Amino acid sequence: MLLPRFDYQRPRDLSEALGLLAQAGDQARPLAGGTDLLVNLKLGKVTCRLVVDLDGVAELKDVSGPGEAPSLGALLSAAWLAKQAGGLGLMGLAEAGGVLGSPQVRNRATIGGNLCTARPAGDLCTALLALDARVVLAGASGRRELPVEQFITGPGLTAIAPGEILLAARPAPGATAGGSAFEKLGLRRTMEIALVSAAVWVQSEADGRTVKAARVALGAVGPTPLLARAAATALVGRPAGTEAFAAAAQAAAEAARPIDDHRGSAEYRRQMVAVLTRRALERAWSRALEATA
Amino acid sequence: MNKLALTLNVNGQDYDLLCEPSRTLAQALREDLGLTGTKVGCGVGDCGACTVLVDGQTVNSCLVLATQAAGKAIVTIEGLADGPKLHPIQEAFVEHGAIQCGFCSPGMILSAKALLDANPAPSELEIRQGLSGNLCRCTGYQKIVQAVDSAARTLRGERTVG
Ligand SMILES: Cc1cc2nc3c(=O)[nH]c(=O)nc-3n(C[C@H](O)[C@H](O)[C@H](O)COP(=O)(O)OP(=O)(O)OC[C@H]3O[C@@H](n4cnc5c(N)ncnc54)[C@H](O)[C@@H]3O)c2cc1C
Ligand code: FES
Ligand code: FES
Repeated sequence: MLLPRFDYQRPRDLSEALGLLAQAGDQARPLAGGTDLLVNLKLGKVTCRLVVDLDGVAELKDVSGPGEAPSLGALLSAAWLAKQAGGLGLMGLAEAGGVLGSPQVRNRATIGGNLCTARPAGDLCTALLALDARVVLAGASGRRELPVEQFITGPGLTAIAPGEILLAARPAPGATAGGSAFEKLGLRRTMEIALVSAAVWVQSEADGRTVKAARVALGAVGPTPLLARAAATALVGRPAGTEAFAAAAQAAAEAARPIDDHRGSAEYRRQMVAVLTRRALERAWSRALEATA
Repeated sequence: MNKLALTLNVNGQDYDLLCEPSRTLAQALREDLGLTGTKVGCGVGDCGACTVLVDGQTVNSCLVLATQAAGKAIVTIEGLADGPKLHPIQEAFVEHGAIQCGFCSPGMILSAKALLDANPAPSELEIRQGLSGNLCRCTGYQKIVQAVDSAARTLRGERTVG
């Protein structure tokens, strides 16, 4: 399968990159890992005259230091997350990075590309939603920040403006005070787009028993990754454990808006939401206790 | 479209070429450099036949532009053997009958190399996960998994190949 022809630029810094994008308007596309863009160009789903390779823009690979509020540059790869995000206290994101696609895809696929592609099943999107992350965008007229929830507006749709570049994803400053986990179900165990996924984050009170705060995000069961608010409500203020987790899992299943397709029925997906949510909560809670200790 | 002048370092040797920006690394390796050991199957990241190493990491060369690999160390299947002496992973594939038609083998072997470089003693599950981006339509995978396990033991010095 051949790529259509296009021009190529590799800017060396952000202002050069923004300048190139502004000049070319909707004829230009930023290139990160290429695992979506090059596929879509080959399939004719995307057309463009100019590809602007972001690889030379060093600040897109920045990571905040330990102890600082977490900030992850848009060009960090899924493979990087799988190895490093755990050390930053973001295990859910590490798990999501570790099950995205294949090893080859993980070595290329980036955070920014996953967010901008905005698939309902986007593994990093779902994990970042559970961490209450914000995206930082830069454009010709300056910078702005949006919660992931507002950034992703529909299947394949985002709030990014033409010419803008996604600089970084910033999990909530308090995210590392809790524990997170990611569960993904496919028809096979690896190299699979999620049939259902669940990303959760929980924080413990100082007593090591009571849930202080929680977020539950679901992938592939709606037009965008969904935040199951009722599932969080079922947890907060209650003692962590089988009962609370079962209630949250039930609430998550009710919040899901799955569809029937050739890969699985809506009913199966809904039931699996409950299973994955419960499993993720069990793991996230033990991590939350470590974070509290 | 302006052509790009670039230098690809493949298997330790520099190659200068002039190519369209839209040329993939797989095309450049096969068609410009004549290194046809790298195969192209699906062209969209699903099959792994086009797997090569770039700075030690596996990539699908059908989804990397040639220009994105300029200045990096690229290793293809042609770079694995030491003259006539096959790499232990290649030896193990031959020994275990892990090659039938051979179309998946170059990519499979490079994925195995990256896996064993990072994890010299993988479990069976880790081997299967490490090879999960490489499809094989012939062998049923079992012999490939055995070959990688056996190569791992050879590379750890636990057994010698006859
Ligand atoms: C075989 C295969 C398996 C896959 N499996 C999975 C999976 O299991 N889970 C999953 O979630 N995804 C999967 N994907 C999809 C893809 O790998 C991910 O969405 C990946 O994160 C995309 O990142 P990228 O860097 O490759 O993006 P690119 O392809 O480089 O870019 C994607 C889009 O985002 C834009 N973009 C990228 N970075 C920026 C930026 N910083 N600022 C502004 N715009 C930007 C590009 O212009 C383009 O429109 C798979 C893809 C393949 C080919
Ligand atoms: S040809 Fe590249 S992954 Fe199939
Ligand atoms: S040996 Fe034929 S595809 Fe693997």
